[in-house]
Amino acid sequence: MMSIYLFWRQPSQMVDRKRMRTSNFRWLLSKFVLLYLMVQVTGALRDLKCTTNNLKVWDCSWKAGFESVIDEVCVEDRSYSCHQVEKTNIKIPALPPGDHIMTAKSSHSPANSLSKFILNEKNVSFIPDTPEILNFSADFPTSTLFLEWNDKGSAFPYHVNVTWEIKILRTERRELIKLETYNTNLSGKDRVHQWSWASDLPLECATHYVSIRCYIDYLHFSGHKEWSDWSQMKKIPWSPNSQTKVFPQDKVVLVGSDIIFCCISQSKVLVAQIGSTLCPLIHLDEKNVAIKIRNISVSENSGTNVIFTTDDNVYGTVIFAGYPPDIPQKLNCETHDLKEIVCTWNPGRPTGLVGPRNTNYTLFESFSKKYVTFKRAETFTNESYQLFFQILPDQEIYNFTLHAQNPLGKSESAQLVNIMERVSPHTPTSLKVKDINSTAVILSWHLPGNFAQINLLCQIEINKANSKQELQNATIKGVKNADYLIDVNKLNPYTKYTFRIRCSAETFWKWSKWSNEKQHLTKEAIPSKGPDIWREWSSDGRNLVIYWKPLSISDANGKILSYNVSCSSHEETQFLSEVLDPQHKAELPLSKRDCIISVVAKNSAGSSPPSKIPTIEIPNDDLKVEEVVGIGKKILLSWHHNPNMTCDYVIKWCNSSRSEHCLMDWKKVSSNSTETIIESDQFRSGIRYHFFLYGCRNQGYQLLRSIIGYIEELAPIVAPNFTVEDTSSDSILVKWEDIPVEELRGFLRGYLFYFQKGEKDTSKMRGLEPGRSDIKIKNITDISQKTLRIADLQGKTSYRLVLQAYTDGGVGPKKSMFVVTKENSVGLIIAILIPVAVAVIVGVVTSILCYRKREWIKETFYPDIPNPENCKALQFQKSVCEGSNALKTLEMNPCTPNNVEVLETRAAPKIEDTEIISPVAERPEEGCNTEPENHVVVSYCPPIIEEEIPNPVVDEAGGTSQVIYIDVQSMYQPQAKPEEEQDIDPVVGPGYKPQMRLPINSTLEETAAEDDIDKTAGYRPQANVNTWNLVSPDSPRSTDSNSEVVSFGSPCSINSRQFLIPPKDEDSPKSNGAGWSFTNFFQNKPND
Amino acid sequence: MSQREGSLEEPKAESSISLLPHLEAKIRQTHSLARLLTKYAEQLLQEYVQHQGEPFGLPGFSPPRLPVAGLSAPAPGHAGLPVPERLRLDAAALAALPVLLDGVRRRQAELNPRAPRLLRRLEEAARQARALGAAVETVLAALGASAHGSQGSPTEAATAAAPAPAPGGFSAKVLGLHVCGLYGEWVSRTEGDLGQLVSGAPA
Repeated sequence: MMSIYLFWRQPSQMVDRKRMRTSNFRWLLSKFVLLYLMVQVTGALRDLKCTTNNLKVWDCSWKAGFESVIDEVCVEDRSYSCHQVEKTNIKIPALPPGDHIMTAKSSHSPANSLSKFILNEKNVSFIPDTPEILNFSADFPTSTLFLEWNDKGSAFPYHVNVTWEIKILRTERRELIKLETYNTNLSGKDRVHQWSWASDLPLECATHYVSIRCYIDYLHFSGHKEWSDWSQMKKIPWSPNSQTKVFPQDKVVLVGSDIIFCCISQSKVLVAQIGSTLCPLIHLDEKNVAIKIRNISVSENSGTNVIFTTDDNVYGTVIFAGYPPDIPQKLNCETHDLKEIVCTWNPGRPTGLVGPRNTNYTLFESFSKKYVTFKRAETFTNESYQLFFQILPDQEIYNFTLHAQNPLGKSESAQLVNIMERVSPHTPTSLKVKDINSTAVILSWHLPGNFAQINLLCQIEINKANSKQELQNATIKGVKNADYLIDVNKLNPYTKYTFRIRCSAETFWKWSKWSNEKQHLTKEAIPSKGPDIWREWSSDGRNLVIYWKPLSISDANGKILSYNVSCSSHEETQFLSEVLDPQHKAELPLSKRDCIISVVAKNSAGSSPPSKIPTIEIPNDDLKVEEVVGIGKKILLSWHHNPNMTCDYVIKWCNSSRSEHCLMDWKKVSSNSTETIIESDQFRSGIRYHFFLYGCRNQGYQLLRSIIGYIEELAPIVAPNFTVEDTSSDSILVKWEDIPVEELRGFLRGYLFYFQKGEKDTSKMRGLEPGRSDIKIKNITDISQKTLRIADLQGKTSYRLVLQAYTDGGVGPKKSMFVVTKENSVGLIIAILIPVAVAVIVGVVTSILCYRKREWIKETFYPDIPNPENCKALQFQKSVCEGSNALKTLEMNPCTPNNVEVLETRAAPKIEDTEIISPVAERPEEGCNTEPENHVVVSYCPPIIEEEIPNPVVDEAGGTSQVIYIDVQSMYQPQAKPEEEQDIDPVVGPGYKPQMRLPINSTLEETAAEDDIDKTAGYRPQANVNTWNLVSPDSPRSTDSNSEVVSFGSPCSINSRQFLIPPKDEDSPKSNGAGWSFTNFFQNKPND
Repeated sequence: MSQREGSLEEPKAESSISLLPHLEAKIRQTHSLARLLTKYAEQLLQEYVQHQGEPFGLPGFSPPRLPVAGLSAPAPGHAGLPVPERLRLDAAALAALPVLLDGVRRRQAELNPRAPRLLRRLEEAARQARALGAAVETVLAALGASAHGSQGSPTEAATAAAPAPAPGGFSAKVLGLHVCGLYGEWVSRTEGDLGQLVSGAPA
């Protein structure tokens, strides 16, 4: 069948290749011929199949036919060759490409037939031989399988590509777990190939098998190429250790990877866990199980424990999860002494692996092929590591490679260095200083190392107190392990210096660390200049006091021991005194007033140049005192240029408030200056200083200006003392004193004077806030004014006076005083006399008028009153009001006068009431029984009035000796009756009720109007009845029993007037004093 | 505990032997040392467990009792033996412990190189076990008993049954745990045995 297939495939391929050479006609003809031959072959050779395994020999086989047996087969190629056939196959040499006629002869066939057919390479299948495995082994610690086989390339003399296919099977069930393709070339020789594969499952966990086959892709073979057969399976021989049950053991894995653990156990595994985490079991052969850990995290130092628990035991292993070594960072190789090279690096990311799994470092130098190994140190931090490499003679260039390796991998870092350019010397030691002179020293130090081949660059740091740091560089020829010397110049004499030094190679790489500091005091030199001097004549003018300032450290050049003072004139130079150092003045009697004072300072090295100053002081008559105030703690003084001043200017100053000799300090300014700024630490705010400007002319000083001033003005600390010089009824004269200078603390600018009405200890007087209308302020800016008269004041009035001084620095404290102005006597007299005169005049006029109109007045205001004795109804005895104990009862017998004696005709209209018929007359006997004579109760009849008074006191009154005016009592029952009722019922109204009203009350209460009652009530001694009850007990009316007013009512009411006093009732208009009294006129009412 | 309490009678009978003052002092000193080492052994065990990772130290985790080469745990019948015999066994065990503790320290130096306190404790434990063993032998010699020749020595039994392959990390941890436990047991047992001698002497 294959033959047929190939046969029919050929035309299409031939068309492709020979399309241009063969015509369609010829192609059709050949097809017919081939079809014929094929029919013949099929009859003789059934299922002809040709294969080759080496491309050299074709093995053609077929099935024997029933009709004929093939005896000989002849192939027609370049030479016609025939082959005897014994079975049903024949091996013939490989034929070249193209069609070949094959003739099969059959001697047993009846027709002795001869069959021909076409044989082509395309009809041949190329099936390589089955590969043979030479070796199959395993590395259990790494779970790696190794396979070796021979490619038998010698069988193929050509360059042929071969594809190998390897399959790995696991467990007894032979599960395919890996199928890998592996490509090689055949080179005409036999070659052994190796292939390895790492298993994720430890090889101890299950049996592993391997098999292999190949496919040879020979491009020049046009036939069918097929895979070889699979080789015979090989397995890993392994017998599990009786001790080890869990695999892998102590394996180091990468963090984040997946790993499988298995447990080989004869008993059933119950639980598996990593650390404290349980894991699902994967069942392998028999009772063996496995677990798979995914994305494992970094282990702790002792590793991560993996535990399998069976019925009767616990098995476990440890896994170490970590990282491969990081690339060594910041690798730096340098030398400190040109003897050995130190390479330092940072290990980078921690690997998480310790102990034998920690990273090993090896420093390899490629030129010398030498290396050093890092000794493992269990460092806890990520600090720098270092390795030392000995410098080799005659080698300056070093190519270092640092290899880092741990079980998970390796890394490296390289550096190429010229060690002569990588010198970082050690720290210089043993620094010493030695004097040369007062301005130069020698520094020496020790520097370990072999620097003979290079120059050193050293830097000296020079520190001086209160001065800027100075650095000096020096290049020194290097030596081997020796001391180095260097000169340091331009120092200041007698100055304490601090030196330290550091070095590097001249080809700078790094400075060494600074050496320890070394302090040194340079030697002394003579003072560079004389002291700044000044002179003052003593107050008596006999002695000259010479002052000088101590030299600065830079000028003194040493410790000043003494000062020599001398006086020189034209004739001679006279040595005056030697003053030891701490003293900076000399007071000397001078016989001559004209000489030049000279002062020199001396130290151990010598004397300074002299400082000179003339003693003469040129007088100046035109001198004014000026004022100045400082700016920012400084005083600026300026003056006009004076060409006569040839030497210099001197400004001296002192505290003007001190009584001692005036010299605090001085300052010299060159003669061409016109201003200077004076500042001193001794200046204080609020202190007055006196400045004197001297000019030097003709070898003498002249005082040019005298200035007082303050650095800063402050407010006075005291108030001026003031007194009242004079006081009148409308003015006060105040006088005050100056404030002492030391308490003024600034230039006085004026006074503030306050005054206001007020007395001592009045709270509202305490404040003097501006803007208050009752406070008057006077600002006295004329500081020469020492008095002040305050006018327009009120007489006999207390005034508060306050005085305070002020400067530009502020207002000082207050001082206050209270003064009372005198009384104005004339006004008072006038004020008294005028009202008195008016009153006298009015009185006189009134008296005259009254005298002239006395009749009219009497008739109008004081008519004659009828004598009650003339009334028979009232049988008063003569002794009724004389205080007799045998007081008769006032018997009010009901009576009706038959006639009325009229005493005054003009009062007749009032007596008309007597004609009114009394109701009592209709009931003559009712309630009017005769009482015993000693009965003192005044009983008001008729009893109808008693019925209207619900006061039980009335009933009890019969047993007492008091006089009770029931009517009066009843009026204190306002709550018992409404006001309307009080107004309507005149019986219960206030005031005295004459007896005449009684019958009227009972008879006319239904018909009489309120106004009519008054009219019909009979006689009223006063026009206004209401005023009777308005009188207070204190009023003269109440108290004056002799007055006519009191005569109303009972003559005995004087003994019981307290009953007449109404209780205080705010609601009652009677108690509010509605009535006028003279006492009220004098009262000082709050609401007045 | 009950075994110890039950064994109090016999030593009292033995302690009727008049002990010399210096012997008493030696016994008390050795007993104090054993008591101190018992406390140290507990601390060592805690420190050891702390550095082995989980599930060591977790409740419920009981690793298998692997046989320790060179030493076995105190036998159950230990309390029933005469005191000199017990001390002989104690001395033998204490003599074997330093080697074992050194081995544990070496493995821990690989597993826990950054646990200096644990390593120091292991080193000290070996030294202290050696010192206590020597002290016990001194007491035995003073009592007139030989430190050697006892039957059923824990070291002999252990040596006979000990295959000693290089254990893996986990086995090393378990083995170290057992060694630390044995150290505590033997020191504690020594303290108890010496305590019976001390209780027989006047306080």
